[in-house]
Amino acid sequence: MDRDPVMLRTLRGLAGLALILWLVLPLIPLAIWSFARGWRFPDILPQSWTLQAWDYALSDTSGVLDSLTLTIWIALCATGLSILIGVPAGRALGLSTFRGKGLVEMMILAPIIVPGIAVALGLHGVFIGLGLTNTTTGVILVHLIPTLPYMTLVMAGIFANYDTAFEDQARSLGASPWQTFRHVTLPAILPGIIVGGLFAFLVSWSQYILTLLIGGGRVITLPLLLFNFAASGRNDIAGAIGMIYILPGVLVLILTARHLTGRNAAIGGLGRL
Amino acid sequence: MRPTAIALLTLSLSSPALVLADTSDGSALIGQDWDTIVEMARGGEVNWFMWGGSDTINRYVSDYVGGVLMDDYGITLNRIGLTDTTEAINIVLGEKEAGVTDAGAVDMIWINGENFRTMKQADLAWCGYTETLPNNVLIDWTNPAIANDFGVPVDGCEVPWNRAQFAFAYDTARTETPPRSIPELLDWIKANPGQFTYPAPPDFNGAVFVRHVFYHAAGGVEGLLGDFDQARYDAAAAATWDILNEIEPLLWREGATYPTSITQLNGLFANQEVAFTFDYDPSQFGLGVQSGQYPETVMSYGLTDGTIGNTNYTIIPFNSPNKAAALVLQNVLLSAEAQLEKALPEVWGTVPGIEVDRTPAEIQAAFAGIERHPSVVDPAELAQNALPELQAGWISAIEQGWIENVGR
Repeated sequence: MDRDPVMLRTLRGLAGLALILWLVLPLIPLAIWSFARGWRFPDILPQSWTLQAWDYALSDTSGVLDSLTLTIWIALCATGLSILIGVPAGRALGLSTFRGKGLVEMMILAPIIVPGIAVALGLHGVFIGLGLTNTTTGVILVHLIPTLPYMTLVMAGIFANYDTAFEDQARSLGASPWQTFRHVTLPAILPGIIVGGLFAFLVSWSQYILTLLIGGGRVITLPLLLFNFAASGRNDIAGAIGMIYILPGVLVLILTARHLTGRNAAIGGLGRL
Repeated sequence: MRPTAIALLTLSLSSPALVLADTSDGSALIGQDWDTIVEMARGGEVNWFMWGGSDTINRYVSDYVGGVLMDDYGITLNRIGLTDTTEAINIVLGEKEAGVTDAGAVDMIWINGENFRTMKQADLAWCGYTETLPNNVLIDWTNPAIANDFGVPVDGCEVPWNRAQFAFAYDTARTETPPRSIPELLDWIKANPGQFTYPAPPDFNGAVFVRHVFYHAAGGVEGLLGDFDQARYDAAAAATWDILNEIEPLLWREGATYPTSITQLNGLFANQEVAFTFDYDPSQFGLGVQSGQYPETVMSYGLTDGTIGNTNYTIIPFNSPNKAAALVLQNVLLSAEAQLEKALPEVWGTVPGIEVDRTPAEIQAAFAGIERHPSVVDPAELAQNALPELQAGWISAIEQGWIENVGR
């Protein structure tokens, strides 16, 4: 840590700039496409500009605006439930050793290792049995299957570097369990909750086949509408819906950015997982 | 207070069941008086799953068809856009395996070919109702191209919606005279290396291109009609793989890779990487020029040795809970007015699935007065050299053979 702080800052600034360019540059063609009428090689810019794609994207026929609200609601619920389940699960995995822990870790990872369509078709049968198909509740619950591994693993990493002695100290000083959680545990693990929650939100946000199968066409989220046009080569409409599609993610990122600076000591890598 | 709240809750929970007649029992509808079916369907909903990648087609379905259903019958049409029709079939298949026989999520699917074969073989389709539709009289079931869907007998399990015939497209600004037959095309590829490619089967359009080469290698389609025959297949297949492997190094990127979808080929064509694209539905080229996907100099054309035609249909799954509303929807789709609207180039420009000469005189006149989009080949001209589709056994054997002998 005896490096020249000015140099370190410059490097950090340059890295940040490169990262921003890397993230923003691919979005520029998307934005141009959404106003383009005919953009083909060898033209640098579209031959003419039009609002047709936006006119469709914002129309009742496309259903984009209705599904935007619904997609946000589903992603928020899936994130909240992921936190409620993932934090205690991560604590157990990060802090304690028990027989069969490796197996449990494998099982948690399984849904993101096994091909999605295989998981989806099996889950469809299970959800029909539970009477959860064709409902928003069912879609929220099924999104937990891909979101929980991320949430749990991030929290396991956080708790692997967490010392429960702080909690013992608070309790010995007379704090109630709630006070201990509120003033000792939560501040220490909050960055992990935010990172894990961000993962959970974005993973839920981008689900396609699970939403279609379990939602049975009654629950139309944005990816369902976006992929129709991305797959059919309609870059103009895919661009317009895509611009709407990235908004919540960018917003969530901006809101949580100050917790993600890496300066907080509690984000200590992903532990041994 | 509390009893009232409970009563309200019960009412709100049970009221949809009071309004919507459950019409999952198809046998009660077959042969039923049409007015009775319409009354059973009134005020209900119908969930139609269909490929959703075209804004114009979506607008026609949601706005025009949905408008007619709502205004005339009080039926709510939910159009569910799919990226791949198989997704809807997977829903029905999963429901059948889980024992859902009368409360499925899917009331109707836009379908043909392999997906229809899957649904028919797995007993996922509701069949035998077509005579019940008043507009059934507009369908020519004696036409084998309508009574068979990619060689699979329809058997009253679906009704036609549109007809289509394969066509190529080229850019008049880049290519002077396009090759007008498969032999001419093969010569053209040899003279213009790197300028042609086709999507790898099992892509729908890539597979039909390969079948055109197969017909050519077999010396015509006549010997290929009827049930799958291994000996006849082997003879034609060997010649087909020879032709396709011979041109492979002369294809786009020396044939090291093939586009995986027709969308990708269309993109290569629009960006001048290849000279031709093709589609099972030539109306796509008119829509593509309208949306700016292609320049106005793009024209579609048929082949002198013929191109393969097909029909696409709408199907009602066996476990649809809204069969009466689905029937009303099918009848609206088959109506002369809805078929005319769909034929307008700015709406879609597709060929009707019904017989125009069975419609009222003023509709016939309106059909005759339609000005085709200049980029879309005249369907009548195309139809002069129409080739039949093979039976399903042939189609899957050719796809599998391509993957093993050419695509490997």
